[in-house]
Amino acid sequence: MSGDKGGGSAHDAAMRFQGSSQVVRPPCLWTTSVIAPLIANSLALASLLIMLSSGLALIYGLRDVINFGHGALYMLGAYLGYSIALVGGFWVALFFAPLLLALLGVVFEYGVLRPLRGRSHIEVALVTLGLGIILGQALIFIYGGEARGVDAPAALAGSVSLYNLSYPVYRIFLIAMGLGSCTALALWLRFSTSGLYVRAVSQDPSVARMMGVNSDRLSLLVTSLSAAFAGVAGVLAGPYLSVDPGMDVTMIVDCLIIVVIGGTGSIAGSIVAALLFGFVQVAGSVFLPDLAALAPYVLLFVVLLIAPRGIGRGRAPA
Amino acid sequence: MSNGTATRVAARNGALLPGASTRVPVAVVLAALLFGLGAFAPVHLASEFVLRIASGGLLLGMLALSVAFLMCQAGLVALGAASVYGGVGYLFAIAMSEWDLSPTSALLFAFVTVVLYSVALGALIVRTNPLAFMMLTLAAGEMINHGVMLEALRDYTSGADGLVVNFKGAILGMTAADLANATQFWPIAWSAAWLLGLAAYAVRRSRFGAILRAIRDNEERMRFSGFDTYLPRLVAFVFVNAIAAICGLLHVLNSGFVSPESLGLGVSTNALVAALIGGVAGSTGPIAGGVLFAFAQDQFGARGFTQLLTGVAMVVFIVALPRGVVGSLVEAARRNLLPKRGAR
Repeated sequence: MSGDKGGGSAHDAAMRFQGSSQVVRPPCLWTTSVIAPLIANSLALASLLIMLSSGLALIYGLRDVINFGHGALYMLGAYLGYSIALVGGFWVALFFAPLLLALLGVVFEYGVLRPLRGRSHIEVALVTLGLGIILGQALIFIYGGEARGVDAPAALAGSVSLYNLSYPVYRIFLIAMGLGSCTALALWLRFSTSGLYVRAVSQDPSVARMMGVNSDRLSLLVTSLSAAFAGVAGVLAGPYLSVDPGMDVTMIVDCLIIVVIGGTGSIAGSIVAALLFGFVQVAGSVFLPDLAALAPYVLLFVVLLIAPRGIGRGRAPA
Repeated sequence: MSNGTATRVAARNGALLPGASTRVPVAVVLAALLFGLGAFAPVHLASEFVLRIASGGLLLGMLALSVAFLMCQAGLVALGAASVYGGVGYLFAIAMSEWDLSPTSALLFAFVTVVLYSVALGALIVRTNPLAFMMLTLAAGEMINHGVMLEALRDYTSGADGLVVNFKGAILGMTAADLANATQFWPIAWSAAWLLGLAAYAVRRSRFGAILRAIRDNEERMRFSGFDTYLPRLVAFVFVNAIAAICGLLHVLNSGFVSPESLGLGVSTNALVAALIGGVAGSTGPIAGGVLFAFAQDQFGARGFTQLLTGVAMVVFIVALPRGVVGSLVEAARRNLLPKRGAR
């Protein structure tokens, strides 16, 4: 993680919507030409956030640890995606970057989470924060401090017209990927045996272990899965946002807000919170551009005031 | 602590009482000597450059003290120390430039405002669990950071450029130039470090400190025993933020400048790492850790590795040396120098 901040790249993306699309009118016009892109844009942003924050919630469910280095994994995914795309193109990057990240997730599980199992959760969280800083700084050291742009693949470049509104194809693809991964995750958790075990451990670790669930093996699966999701999100973010140092801090802060709003450890809660977050951020940048940067925090504190444990049914740490 | 241990401790204290009554003044005299020596000797011995780094280290150490106190006594890790540290500097600058307050009243205004902010923030977030607390302090810190960078507040905060704080008149007889002078600032930083360290020590030793630690260990048990578990944590949160605010005011008085960097996550993690380097348990550890950090940063920072080393230090100290440098030294000394007490 780097200390410098570029003012929030997710926010920039939301702002970019104002420049790139011709449909923005004065905010008093509550017509479909304002509402439809608004919802589409918040879905596009939420797609990335869902992939990252559900990964955070999954690890938390198994290990009671919030991975503060998740932003750095996302950043690594983005830079790997950038490098691979230069050689083999976007689709190759979208396949290989998550694969490499999944391997890193295995290393993370064996090298960090397992040896530190006996330590307090706060200490492990701090270790992940430190590792995230190291990874982020190493990436800045390798790639330098300037932002990189990634082009969308030819098949997804350009815009489509729907009811005489034009909308970038890439964002539709992003939404499809977000909703797709969300559905896949839900199906896996709901209908597979390993998904059942994951839910059981998340609900009550000691009882699940007593029933013979091997939570170490599950944790390996979940950690690599969530790292792979971070990789997918990183590659997908390339053409949508920019690839820059500081993207890790922005993203981890956004994801932590979402995880808290969603109720720590609740996957459904974090998905709902990500949708809410995306909407608030995009709507904020359209209607109150001056104060948009603060919109997520207002949302966070309003939710905390009403429901201190978040909107989902999270589990208190053991 | 079980009942048996408590009686044993009481008995031991009783047995040691005659000796203790002579030992305490010795310790006090030694501390006073050390304080006096530290306040004046470096001014004559060290170069201005070294003094500047050392006072910077003391400031970071005091910030680390605020992080360490909350971490060790309440089990809560704050990742937003910088927002108070830098925020109080901004308020001080704005109160003088925009509202024409005198330096002393601007100082008070900034301090009181930050304390009120921490009361409001604490009221919202100390009731969550420690992990959520960590995330929320990080988020609140970023919120302040974004707030300062807001385009709408540019007239007040001048965005990324930061503010030059050049006050007229004097605060407690010191002008802006005096405070910027490394030799004149050193005794102030040194005394402040001692005062804050002793304050933290006093709070740790008090009944309040014991209640805090008991809540940290088992909140449910404390609630069940009829203790309020919310208010003590809130008070602790406000207390450490007051320490951070004093530290931030000293920083802005010394440097005469406040920038978004002083609000950033970098400063918060530096303070956390300084606390971990020194050891979070006492008052000496974090402050010494701050000084160590400052000199290490001077060694390696020029090559742009500060952040990287911050990360490495965070991992290494938590995994391999959880007591920190000072904590480990104290532990080693206790084991080697006091064999009889350990054996009993």
